[in-house]
Amino acid sequence: MEFLEFFKFGIAQFYQYTGFANVTWGHLIMIAIGIFFIALGIIKEYEPLLLIPIGFGMIVGNIPFIGGLQVGVYESGSVLNYLYFGVIKGVYPPLIFLGIGAMTDFSALISNPKLILIGAAAQFGIFAAYISALLIGFSAMEAGAIGIIGGADGPTAIFLASKLAPGMMGAIAVSAYSYMALVPVIQPPIMRLLTSDRERLIKMRPPRAVSHREKVFFPILGILLTTFLVPSALPLLGMLFFGNLLKESTVTRRLANTANGPLIDIVTILIGLTVGASTQATNFLTTDSVLIFGLGALSFIFATAAGVGFVKFLNLFLKEGNKINPLIGNSGVSAVPDAARVSLVEGLKYDKKNYLLMHAMGPNVAGVIGSAVAAGILLGFLY
Amino acid sequence: MKINYKYFIFLFSLLIPLSVGAQSQSDLRINELMINNVDNLVDEYGKNVPWVEIFNTSYNSVNIEECYLTNDTTGFAAGDPSRWYRIPKGDPKTLIPTRGFLVFYLDNLPTYGVFHTNFDPSDSTSSNYIALISSSGKTIIDFFEFPPSLRTATHSYGYKKDYGLDSVEIAGVLVKNKDTLDYFTPGAQNYPIDEATKSELVQAQDQYGIILTIISMTVVFSALFIIYVLLKLSARLNLLVPVWIKKYQDKKQGISSEVAMKKVIDPTKADSGEELAAIGMAIHLHFNKNHDYESEIITIETPKVHASPWAQKQLIHRRIPRRK
Repeated sequence: MEFLEFFKFGIAQFYQYTGFANVTWGHLIMIAIGIFFIALGIIKEYEPLLLIPIGFGMIVGNIPFIGGLQVGVYESGSVLNYLYFGVIKGVYPPLIFLGIGAMTDFSALISNPKLILIGAAAQFGIFAAYISALLIGFSAMEAGAIGIIGGADGPTAIFLASKLAPGMMGAIAVSAYSYMALVPVIQPPIMRLLTSDRERLIKMRPPRAVSHREKVFFPILGILLTTFLVPSALPLLGMLFFGNLLKESTVTRRLANTANGPLIDIVTILIGLTVGASTQATNFLTTDSVLIFGLGALSFIFATAAGVGFVKFLNLFLKEGNKINPLIGNSGVSAVPDAARVSLVEGLKYDKKNYLLMHAMGPNVAGVIGSAVAAGILLGFLY
Repeated sequence: MKINYKYFIFLFSLLIPLSVGAQSQSDLRINELMINNVDNLVDEYGKNVPWVEIFNTSYNSVNIEECYLTNDTTGFAAGDPSRWYRIPKGDPKTLIPTRGFLVFYLDNLPTYGVFHTNFDPSDSTSSNYIALISSSGKTIIDFFEFPPSLRTATHSYGYKKDYGLDSVEIAGVLVKNKDTLDYFTPGAQNYPIDEATKSELVQAQDQYGIILTIISMTVVFSALFIIYVLLKLSARLNLLVPVWIKKYQDKKQGISSEVAMKKVIDPTKADSGEELAAIGMAIHLHFNKNHDYESEIITIETPKVHASPWAQKQLIHRRIPRRK
């Protein structure tokens, strides 16, 4: 009899430690969202490299447990907490930028420099969201962190959120990556709304060949100009241009291959998983998160509209033959290369021979620089 | 003249040590001093003794061990550090954290512990300064002069808003930074009043974010516009530089400039790259077709079997350039 009592007690004790005893509706909702993200990544192939780690991370982060076991991402000393350190301290984003730099070809930008201005115009989305967030009642620091979602650049969003609003980082990162994945869904209606049939048929001149010398000088010029103006963007832009120099110098191929291959893959896995795991239901399922998602969508819409609108404005001053197809305006948001791919797909819908991909890559990579500069400005003003 | 770059690299490497030293003991400053300590800070032994506060101005932790503190003028002039108080090595508390503070008791009782010096500035015959000297004993890191009246005053003396600017704004008024202090703050910042943060000030000035938006968009556009202008210029230079090089080479060889100019390829007729891509693709297709039938064929395909660079000596060693 005593044994039976002890057995029942043991089972009851064990049950208290299981996820079943600690589960809440919040956990289940977040796990469902995680599975949805994984499904989006696998079935629809929307940014699978990001959505699958984030989605799985959401499941990992929402397995219910009793506190104190050192397993949760927010528990000091847990393995996930150590990995999350790279997110909190902004270590991962610059490393990702190193890899992006090492895999980005800036030729499209160098050959047609005016496209760089589209990348600047599209950053308006960041500030539209910033203003909206202030109007809703967020503090300036929170508004700045939310606004950066409009930069459509996950690492930049994480970097800025870790400094300005660490408590909101999970929601901001997930929102940024979700909308980046949904670029093919969000952008086309805005592009169609703002352009006429005639404008969509504009054929742009093929880009000229860019010399090796120009490609080598670009990262050096780029870092000097941008970081002298906005030193707070140094971690991101420094690594971006350094990675690009590794690639373009052609004498450091092994380093470039590591940066744009194994290194960026490892960091993407870590950042995706830990950001996903940071969305614990208790922290994530709040009204603020809903507002952040709403403002994120708004910022993407404004960014796309500003990019397309700016191309139309530029075209007023350009001669026939030099005009820019406004369908590449959406690429000013970073989201490399998805936004450029949207330009290509939309362009081909109206003219089967109008390949806009190379042209769209110009504003697309300019968007990366622009969003990092914008993040640097926000950091300079608000941190 | 043939330039030997090795000498340049050697000379440059000599300059590097000059820049080293940032984020080190040289970032330490004497920030606050109190001599007439009647009922202020109490040391570990329950005594009110004069104290000095050291401030780490850098954004890195700095260890103050083996540095010297002194109010002795003759010692430095004679280069004799034996009379100064040398901060003992090995105490973990001598590591001053980023923008952190450390207090030393100036009680002429060094046997009381690491943070008790061998001099007491309350003696009116002693000098009116305290110096912090580097561990080498050769460089004065900070020289802190104080008014003699501090020996009888019931306040501390130092920097109103910690070491930095000569004058600072307090309650909207610009005041001298190094002065009599209104607060006693040993081991803490000298201006303990909670001020609005940078972001709060921005929000107060710009409630709806319009000004920040205008400024930020202007900066983003300016940054990218400058890149745009330079890329335009570099494109022009890229076309002109080969012409200049050719001209220079021809001039060296004694070819007249007119003849040389004829030889230069017209930059406006430079290939766009499309022709080259088409030729490349044609060659690729042509060779691919025969790829299965011919051995040692030239191909632009990457090898199917990737050898590990770790296993191939020629890939992990830089080739030695051949002297021609």
